[in-house]
Amino acid sequence: MSDIVSIIQRVLGDVDLVLGWTATGAGGVAAPARFQTAAEAERAVFNATCVHNLAVHLPRLKDQTVGIVAKGCDSRSVAQLIQEREIDRDRVKVIGVRGLGGSIDVRKIWRFHGYGVPVDARTDSLFIDGKEVDRQEFLRQKCLGCRDMDPVIYDELFEASGSSITGIADAATVETALSETGLGTSLTAAEAMSAAGEDESRPLGELFAKMNSAERRLFWREQYSRCIRCYACREACPMCFCRDVCIMQTTDPHWTGAGVDAGEAEMMQLIRVNHLAGRCTGCGECERACPVGIPLMLLMNKQNQVIEELFGYRAGTDLEARPPLLTFDIKGDSRSEK
Amino acid sequence: MAELKLIGFLCNWCSYAGADMAGMARMKQPGELRIIRLPCTGRVNPLLILKAFQQGADGVLVSGCHPGDCHYNEGNYYARRRLELLSRMLPAFGIEPERFHFTWVSASEGARWADVVTEFTGKIEAMGKA
Amino acid sequence: MRIGVFVCQCGTNIAGTVATDKVAEAALAMRDVLHAETLQYTCSDPGQRAIIDAVQKKGLTRVVIAACSPRMHETTFRRTIGQAGMNAYMMEMVNIREHCSWIHSDIDTATDKAIDLVQKGVARVRRQVPLYSTTVPVTRRVLVIGGGVAGIQAALDIADSGLPVTLVERGPTIGGNMARLDKTFPTLDCSSCILTPRMVEAKQHENISLMVNTEIEQVRGYIGNFEVDVRKKATCVIEDKCTGCMICQEKCPGKAPDEFNAGVGQSKAISIPFPQAVPLVAALRKEHCRRFIKGKCGVCKKVCPADAVDYEQEDEITTEMFGAVVVATGYELYDWREAYPDYGGGQYPDVVTSLQYERMLSASGPTAGHVQRPSDGAEPKQVVFVSCVGSRDESVGRPLCCSVGCMYIAKQAILTKEHIPDSQSYVFYIDIRATGKGYEEFTRRAQKEFGAIYLRGRVGKIYPSNGQLVVMGTDTLSGGPVEIEADLVVLATGFAAARGAGELARKLNISYDQYEFLSESHPKLRPVETTTGGIFLAGACQAPKDIPDSVAQAGAAAAKVIGLLSRGEIETSPMVAAVDQLRCIGCFKCRDVCSYNAIEALELRDGRQVAKVIDSLCQGCGVCNVACPPSVVSLKGYTDNQLIAETMELLR
Ligand SMILES: Cc1cc2nc3c(=O)[nH]c(=O)nc-3n(C[C@H](O)[C@H](O)[C@H](O)COP(=O)(O)OP(=O)(O)OC[C@H]3O[C@@H](n4cnc5c(N)ncnc54)[C@H](O)[C@@H]3O)c2cc1C
Ligand code: SF4
Ligand code: SF4
Ligand code: SF4
Ligand code: FES
Repeated sequence: MSDIVSIIQRVLGDVDLVLGWTATGAGGVAAPARFQTAAEAERAVFNATCVHNLAVHLPRLKDQTVGIVAKGCDSRSVAQLIQEREIDRDRVKVIGVRGLGGSIDVRKIWRFHGYGVPVDARTDSLFIDGKEVDRQEFLRQKCLGCRDMDPVIYDELFEASGSSITGIADAATVETALSETGLGTSLTAAEAMSAAGEDESRPLGELFAKMNSAERRLFWREQYSRCIRCYACREACPMCFCRDVCIMQTTDPHWTGAGVDAGEAEMMQLIRVNHLAGRCTGCGECERACPVGIPLMLLMNKQNQVIEELFGYRAGTDLEARPPLLTFDIKGDSRSEK
Repeated sequence: MAELKLIGFLCNWCSYAGADMAGMARMKQPGELRIIRLPCTGRVNPLLILKAFQQGADGVLVSGCHPGDCHYNEGNYYARRRLELLSRMLPAFGIEPERFHFTWVSASEGARWADVVTEFTGKIEAMGKA
Repeated sequence: MRIGVFVCQCGTNIAGTVATDKVAEAALAMRDVLHAETLQYTCSDPGQRAIIDAVQKKGLTRVVIAACSPRMHETTFRRTIGQAGMNAYMMEMVNIREHCSWIHSDIDTATDKAIDLVQKGVARVRRQVPLYSTTVPVTRRVLVIGGGVAGIQAALDIADSGLPVTLVERGPTIGGNMARLDKTFPTLDCSSCILTPRMVEAKQHENISLMVNTEIEQVRGYIGNFEVDVRKKATCVIEDKCTGCMICQEKCPGKAPDEFNAGVGQSKAISIPFPQAVPLVAALRKEHCRRFIKGKCGVCKKVCPADAVDYEQEDEITTEMFGAVVVATGYELYDWREAYPDYGGGQYPDVVTSLQYERMLSASGPTAGHVQRPSDGAEPKQVVFVSCVGSRDESVGRPLCCSVGCMYIAKQAILTKEHIPDSQSYVFYIDIRATGKGYEEFTRRAQKEFGAIYLRGRVGKIYPSNGQLVVMGTDTLSGGPVEIEADLVVLATGFAAARGAGELARKLNISYDQYEFLSESHPKLRPVETTTGGIFLAGACQAPKDIPDSVAQAGAAAAKVIGLLSRGEIETSPMVAAVDQLRCIGCFKCRDVCSYNAIEALELRDGRQVAKVIDSLCQGCGVCNVACPPSVVSLKGYTDNQLIAETMELLR
């Protein structure tokens, strides 16, 4: 079995640069890095804090040949970008990661153990400040319901661990609970409570599912009123590649004004939901990037679920598929209109 | 109670003509709906509907040619997917899905158009303002 | 920006329910509006002049006209402001008649709505930019679909102007339903005597190429340049070789229904529909041919002196370009059987349709003009005509009038008396509709001179009794029920659209109504146009009509076609999509959704690939506009900002 360093070094023989991680974050947490030489690649790591979806950089590196370390979820973004002809399959080398038992939400660690505490996040165990803890408690919410443990596409395979995948058995239960509402979130119950004014023990998804329209409107109004319009959600999204012509920032067309308020923030998110229909792979980066903790994945997950129901389609799982909103099925399209 | 605000996005070739037909036949209809003419339901951006709701519309109606009859052959097939998705997403946005109605009215269906308007307006009236 | 608003009163059509002066007053308060007035009839000459005056005196740069439907007068007013020296597209119509005054009775409601609509129009026109149309060359060839009297007339008129015409007929001969008629009302001239020469002329005309047994497979393109695939169905007969001697038909052992004779009599598996058929060429129907059903036989090939039979023949698809299309697919008789079980539902042989009776009366028909009732061949003495079977009957879902039934019943009653002098005709009718020239007189003659007895009322039941039929009806004039013994009953069955008319309409992308009659663009002002440019209608395919009307409409369609193609090029609508190439990200989602292949890739000098709209192919649907994430391909005249502004304005 090759280690990540030697795989990256090998891939560097074919490409201009490789996107991966080094362990330079607070407390030894992984931070994204690009490697251009074998020497640089010596610093590469892969562990369960490698949460970032590096595919976001690919559209910006179109004139280079790029290697990318991609978890199962990340590989869907790469696949979707290829399917949308945004990047060229021949110009990326995907180092797919297999056997990662879900990644760790370091914010949860920091919240309970203090910022910068040393973290050793292996694929089968988790040590905080040298002490082993229950790894599952600190898994990212989205990993609990993961359906994409294995990469969709890859040129090289990196086996993250031979060990069993923790948390996944229980994840099934969580997944059922969440899929009923179609929601999943990394928000804490406390945050949910403040938003919805309900019992602390319930996850946000469940709360949201129970709200009526008026409550939801109020809920979103409150959530959006915290938006500082930093566009981090958009910047973190691998599929948002309109860049400087994004319609959130123009008066032609004039969908949003320049103001920072709940109404404008809502329109921004509606635009995002609309533009990502049939394209969002559910990687969760938008929500992770949001500095004020707006539960953006509530809408994204819901839409992904509806699209799967309506069109049997999951973004980034099939390079050849026709995106569902760029085609139609004369007979088969279900219709509530009449 | 302030007046209801209802907006209809109609394709030029079938539904707008159908509404004309209803007018020519002097079929009385409730007065709340305001019609915006577009070439085709394929031109209806779901964002436009969301924008309308955000700006306080109490109901939004989209009407075009029956499937197979779109003046541009396929416009309403794209619309059908876009709007089906939209209507399923409305609850998550906090908008009652009943406030949105998507239908087909042909150029010769003046009576049907009058019925659609009457029914839709009645439904929204019963729901009250958004 | 200087906007003028003109509020039409349309006499009292609008002013009766909308306080137009209040609308004009409200308009004056709207942003950038510096002129507003009401006009009595805006579309009239003084109305249009008032607009031109105001534009010129006040230097208006944009105009909003609140009047009838833009589908009615948009082109009129574009021309008006063009005459005033403005770009024709700097005008917006808002519909305060069809969508307002005519559907509301409350003045406040209607006035409020009208003000809102004007506000919306102002918001929209403020964001309008001048648009310029371009021209494309046209194909100076014409396709006529359907070879009935309407199609023949249109083809001849167009061909006479020097344009090449392809006349496509799906049956084995042209002539349509008129070829089946014996004599024609109201003059009683013989149908074949007037039609056959025209059929021959169509065949021989140097500018007409005739294709029978042919159907339209697919249509692409748009006004001026339609690309049409036609399928010539295999008939197992080589058209150029067949001399029309009919020996094959004589010798063929395979019986087949006689469609030309409306099922009266029988035909053969290989046949020529009638001796005057054009072209006079046999066709083999595989579904009735012994060789194809049972695998043996081959008589026709053996006996054909011209060696014209070819069992291996296959369908042929060819593609041709046309600048314009005339659709003249006519009608079929409504199939009454299921809807009228009380009339025997087709069980009684002596209850026939009008078209069958027409064939029974015809000297060239299967009985050589001797009227014989089907059951036993006897000459009927008592003939009962039942009008409006499948017409004007809500209970079977067919409220439409067939428009010729009353007339052909009178005709057939007259002819019955001529054929069988000692016969008596009875006619059950609802109303006698005889509105054409000489028509009323004709129906009177049937009663006065030819003794037909007219009874006003519907027939409730027809049943057999003692070798005869009993027709039970009501006579609403005398007030009582009546029963008449009949030797033969003729049902004046209503008109239905030709089989497959809806399907053809979809291929051509034109509209049709619930009965599949094809829709004209405007019932009064554009009666032969369809909603698709370059496609015209003629004859009974549009609605039931008689021969004079069919021929007149065919002439009108021909005139439109000739006018269209006389220019050699046509203006395209400027309301097409356009890409802002500086902002295009080259994702080509627009190209994925465009149904007209109107979007291509263009490489900029810096190597970036961007989208480019091919103006002449773009039809202006706007599907791409919605698919484009940055919305940088935008539909001119319906930009995002215009639609957003309209929406926002209505919700203020
Ligand atoms: C019993 C009876 C008696 C009548 N008597 C009179 C009378 O005395 N005087 C009078 O003025 N009118 C009379 N009419 C009416 C007259 O028949 C019609 O007005 C006339 O035939 C209409 O002509 P058309 O060319 O529009 O249609 P049609 O005659 O129906 O011709 C249409 C042609 O198009 C062809 N076609 C259909 N679909 C297609 C397709 N998809 N592709 C290619 N070809 C196609 C058909 O095969 C047919 O040849 C009578 C009608 C009936 C039923
Ligand atoms: S919208 Fe969010 S979850 Fe979806 S692809 Fe973009 S960043 Fe990932
Ligand atoms: S969809 Fe828009 S951005 Fe994409 S190629 Fe077309 S015009 Fe350009
Ligand atoms: S508007 Fe767009 S999608 Fe429609 S025909 Fe034109 S280019 Fe094609
Ligand atoms: S033109 Fe009516 S829906 Fe496309």
